[in-house]
Amino acid sequence: MTRLIDPSLEKLSQIMSEMGDMAIACVSLAVDSYLEGKNTNDEVYELSDSIRNKYFEVEDLIFDMLLKYQPVADDFRMIRSSTEISYAFSRFGRYAYDITQVRDLFGDISECTNASLIEITKKVKHMIKEAVLSFAELDVRKAVKIQEDEAFIDKIYKERLPKLIQSNNTKCALAEALLLRYLERIGDHAVFMSDAINYIVTGKHKPSEKRIASHTKSS
Amino acid sequence: MTTLSVPAQKITNSIDSAIPSSVPHEEEKFKMIAENVSIYYGSTMGVKNVTMKFPEKSVTALIGPSGCGKTTFLRCLNRMHDMTKNAKVEGKVMIDDIDLYDKSIDPIYHRRKVGMVFQKPNPFPTMSIYDNVTAGLKLNGVKDKRILDEIVEDTLKMAYLWDEVKNDLKKSAIELSGGQQQRLCIARALAIQPEVLLMDEPASALDPIATQKIEETITELKKDYTIIIVTHNMQQAVRVSDYTGFMYLGELIEFRETKKLFTDPKNELTAKYVQGQFG
Amino acid sequence: MSTTNEKRQEYRALFKNNVKKRLVVDKIVHIIIFAFVIIAIIPLASILVEVFKNGISAISYEFLTAIPGSIGSGEGGIGPAIQGTLIIIGLASLMGVPIGVMSGIFLAEFGDNKLARNVRFFNDVFMEFPSIVLGIFAFLVIVLILGHFSVWAGAFALALIMFPIVARTTEESLKMVPITYREAGTALGLKKWVITFRIVISAAKSGMITGILLSVSRIGGETAPLIMTILGSSQFFSSMDVPMDALPLRIWRLSLLPYESSQLQGWGAALVLILVIIGINMAVRYHFANGNGIIMRFIKQGVSTKR
Repeated sequence: MTRLIDPSLEKLSQIMSEMGDMAIACVSLAVDSYLEGKNTNDEVYELSDSIRNKYFEVEDLIFDMLLKYQPVADDFRMIRSSTEISYAFSRFGRYAYDITQVRDLFGDISECTNASLIEITKKVKHMIKEAVLSFAELDVRKAVKIQEDEAFIDKIYKERLPKLIQSNNTKCALAEALLLRYLERIGDHAVFMSDAINYIVTGKHKPSEKRIASHTKSS
Repeated sequence: MTTLSVPAQKITNSIDSAIPSSVPHEEEKFKMIAENVSIYYGSTMGVKNVTMKFPEKSVTALIGPSGCGKTTFLRCLNRMHDMTKNAKVEGKVMIDDIDLYDKSIDPIYHRRKVGMVFQKPNPFPTMSIYDNVTAGLKLNGVKDKRILDEIVEDTLKMAYLWDEVKNDLKKSAIELSGGQQQRLCIARALAIQPEVLLMDEPASALDPIATQKIEETITELKKDYTIIIVTHNMQQAVRVSDYTGFMYLGELIEFRETKKLFTDPKNELTAKYVQGQFG
Repeated sequence: MSTTNEKRQEYRALFKNNVKKRLVVDKIVHIIIFAFVIIAIIPLASILVEVFKNGISAISYEFLTAIPGSIGSGEGGIGPAIQGTLIIIGLASLMGVPIGVMSGIFLAEFGDNKLARNVRFFNDVFMEFPSIVLGIFAFLVIVLILGHFSVWAGAFALALIMFPIVARTTEESLKMVPITYREAGTALGLKKWVITFRIVISAAKSGMITGILLSVSRIGGETAPLIMTILGSSQFFSSMDVPMDALPLRIWRLSLLPYESSQLQGWGAALVLILVIIGINMAVRYHFANGNGIIMRFIKQGVSTKR
């Protein structure tokens, strides 16, 4: 027999799934367009905007469920983590949009070499796909891979940034710095997502303390 | 979205849950310990070998579907089953190291350490508010009016009823509203200076506002008393209790800190019950 | 959904069509019941009217206080009979009520065993015994042994009639007190007898009093046992070991005489007896109701734990 909360849970699941797909598409598009020098600003903007709207929808739905059904146990953890995860999706969209804006702001950056960014963007795309899949299947084993990817991104980020100071092309250096920053943030949110998924399955909070520590120190 | 794949952590967790943890926290001091309690009605076993430890100055909730034995179990904690023919209780119920079921002790004397409040408010109908509160004392020989007056004021204040009735203590108890009557019963139970308070669905016969007042009362009382409450209302258990025990078909399935039991139950049965997936 | 909207409309129409018929049937049943009530009341009312009509002219101060005059003279009164009735009812109650109440308490509170079941059965049988049999029994046991008619014998016989009724009604009243009050008492650590006497009985008070008054009314009018035990007399009460007069006896004697004056006195005595019984009822209820709304108290009857 279906409980009163079940239709809402299904709707939540559906919206989150759509958000996931859109996030993957959005980030991939933004990142690939940047590397290839294409202009897909409008498309990315559309996707990002849709994701944002869905985020508000999810928030409304979650608070509605809390108000009406006072969920517990599995339901409760699912709903609680969904706030974190949907926020992560909205952030992916936002950063994707920011990435497309870099070209607009800086004008023509076709002369900049993007070699260093190629590895990192591959990792980011992989990370997001893994995160979305992990949520869909509630598979916490993927968390390990996601953390490895994030560690890698962090490493590149820390290595490249100082090198950019020595660069003689300010425009390219700044552009790359911005990209690195956005990609690194995307990575962070992917890890937060996997922590939230871990909470759904195991009931344990596992804030990635190392991650947080490394960031608060550098700011 | 409620079907889960089974990662490694969950498997080890379910092995743990096979042994229901009735020990919330080793360092806690326990006011009352029920050890291997089994209760028979004739030949049927209503409660099957239950062990629970109740930490002092806290609220423990007992939840479970109808007929799971939670009320039966609660009533053995103050030997109410002595009144019932055909009821047999095995096991020990210890308060501060004294077993209530020890044949050598006086049950009536020790029964006073445990007060009880019932589901339907039951103030004595032919007595006034004052007489109801002092019933457990006066009818046991306490005559000093000064002490009685003090206790009446004290317990009515603890039950959040003093302000509403202080001007008319001679009024008949049954002229009060349902919620007030229940608070009167709480005051009456407190008047005999118990150490443990048992409550059998104390708010189930009351309207939401009265229920809220009872819950506030419970939250205040737990500063001084150990409270064990049977409730059908899971949200109430979440609101007022520190520990929760889930019973099913006479057995204790899971016993943990309330927040943990409701957000991350270790036992599949518990998860199903609290999410409304059966009975 | 198995019923569709069309079906529901159908049912509603059906319902409407039947309503008129049902209202008529309802009215007819009402009238029949009312008629039967009237039929039941008429004899009772006519008795009261008859007694009142015939007896009122006999009432006078002298009638109520003087001893009977010589037979057929039309003088004298029923003073001793009134006194006797009051005495015998009082004595019988003193003997029968405590025993009856205690038995009732035993049956209700401690009555879940074989002994109690047997007692209850015997009690019910005893309640139906013909009062003349009980009178004969009292005659054999007391009058014959002591060698004379006496008030003791009469009180004993009436007590025998009284106590099963009191026991039964006490038991029923106590059982009607919800078990939750006993549980509350137990939870407070009170002993069983304290719970029974201080809590349960005060809640069952109303019903118990009704039962006692019922039995008093019953014995007030018993004649046969009195014939065998106090015999009757023309003098006021002198001692417990001699015969005494009582209203039922006096009524019986007076009504058998062929003189009109005696018959008139008989009616008067009957009226007095009825008034005595009613008076006892009202007085006891007034006393135990603590005078809250006197008229309402008389009208309110039955077992109720709410005030």
